[in-house]
Amino acid sequence: MTLCGSGVGCSAGVGGAGLSTVNPCTPAAVQDSPADGINSNIGNFQVTDRENYLGEGVIEGYSQKSNDIDEHEDHYASASSSKSQFRKVALKARWSDETGMAEVVDKRGTIWRTTGIVRSSKLYFSIEEVLFLIEIGALLLMDDGDISLSLEDMYVKISNGKHGCSWEEFQAYRQLKSLGYIVGRHGVPWSMKIVKSNHESVSSYGCRDNDEAVDLDSEESRSVFGLFNEMQIDEARLVFDVYLPNSKFRKSSPGDPSFVLCFTRGHPPSKADLEALERRCRNIPVKVCHVEQGGVSLFSFDKVELPILP
Amino acid sequence: MGPRWKGKGAEAKALADPMSKIVLKLQSSLIQSDARGILCGSSVLLAAEEEQALLFGRAYFGHPIVNADKDRQWFQLGMEEAFFLCYSLKCLKIAGEDKRLKDDQELWQCMKSKKAGFPVFYKAYSHLRTKNWVVRPGLQYGADFVAYRHHPSLVHSEYAVLVSSEGDAEANGRLKLWSDVHCTLRLCLGVVKTLLVLTISKNGDDDDSPSCLANYMVDERTVTRWSPEQSREEDTSDDVESQARE
Repeated sequence: MTLCGSGVGCSAGVGGAGLSTVNPCTPAAVQDSPADGINSNIGNFQVTDRENYLGEGVIEGYSQKSNDIDEHEDHYASASSSKSQFRKVALKARWSDETGMAEVVDKRGTIWRTTGIVRSSKLYFSIEEVLFLIEIGALLLMDDGDISLSLEDMYVKISNGKHGCSWEEFQAYRQLKSLGYIVGRHGVPWSMKIVKSNHESVSSYGCRDNDEAVDLDSEESRSVFGLFNEMQIDEARLVFDVYLPNSKFRKSSPGDPSFVLCFTRGHPPSKADLEALERRCRNIPVKVCHVEQGGVSLFSFDKVELPILP
Repeated sequence: MGPRWKGKGAEAKALADPMSKIVLKLQSSLIQSDARGILCGSSVLLAAEEEQALLFGRAYFGHPIVNADKDRQWFQLGMEEAFFLCYSLKCLKIAGEDKRLKDDQELWQCMKSKKAGFPVFYKAYSHLRTKNWVVRPGLQYGADFVAYRHHPSLVHSEYAVLVSSEGDAEANGRLKLWSDVHCTLRLCLGVVKTLLVLTISKNGDDDDSPSCLANYMVDERTVTRWSPEQSREEDTSDDVESQARE
């Protein structure tokens, strides 16, 4: 068992206590994206035209039905489904504890179009990206010595939150990714090309200060995640930049995120927290995430102005 | 969630009969009759002649009291309602048990002593009433107030309103725990209302006189659950804002 954030992971099988985490050990279904050209045996999933909008790595097996209120009720049903299907492994990457990232050594398929950051023509995955891809069976991970790293190894690694993403944050990441959203670490450029070619576009990232971007440029990817770790020790943290599902997404011109996903420590945000978050995100909407008891909830605290009625 | 009008033609009716005009009529009726209320516990009691009673009903202030008085209709006003008629509309005078009329200052102190946080609740109430929203008690929805676009006979209340005060523990102490946020939003969903949080910034500690209200700032925010399952193609959370701007 791994104590991971405030939940306890357990690989003892579907019937164990606690919510079962969907991964290749506990059967649940994964739908191949049409982009991969493998679209067989979708099982009992509804195939609708919204599929066209799905990004890569879309899972339909979380039983997160559109009714967000009763979202927890059929986890067990889905976990016991025999119509499960996982991806054929398409990616290989090498994990480094030192950088807290995995360098992709063999990239096939299309997942990398919306996953990972590009630095000096190399592709790096963060720990949440690595874990998500292993969970859906799309990544083989090795360590420095070419020894294969298991899902369990990675659950242990994320449990201490040292690699820039906590277990709670990962759960939010997983939910959004499984619905086809494109999710990157807040303020970390997808690619350095844009920063080099167009300094103005830096501000369109939302909250990142210009000089940080320049630092990243010079120091390579090595220090990227450490840097943002340290930035996020205050009360409310900006964690992920989230883009709507978009098959035309380009890392070199990602545009503004649809919203920035924020986490608070323990309590709902105060007005002062919200104002601080909004200041840091300028014109990009803020959503606040609350993860507890295995459930991910997102909230908008939108400033409004009630009309003066006649 | 947009306004939910009660039946066809309700919206047109509301448009033809603006709430601001109704309140003005009530105001001049009360001034004309030199209306006096009695402060009774945390309420203000007042009797109205037939025509005025109708205006109370149309502007939706207070609850009618059923009694054997054949000539006049009695009403019971909440503290915010009474103070609004007194202090903001200057159309009601209020006497205590000694039958002596209280000036604004005395009434303010009196209401503060009866209800902790009265200044911020009153600011929230008057803020919405000044924008011509109809404001009613929200207790049965677990809120401080509910706000209607027009008379409740024409439209369902649109907002459940919680009043929050910046920097101190006054007001209601709500939404400080995630469980309360979930609970409140779930309830709002069930009764088809949008949660509106009014945060009052006092800009100073002095609330000895009602003149401090002029320094109070009101911040309006809606709190909504955002469903990633239902928002993949467009950001539906914007709907709330665009509605509010209508």
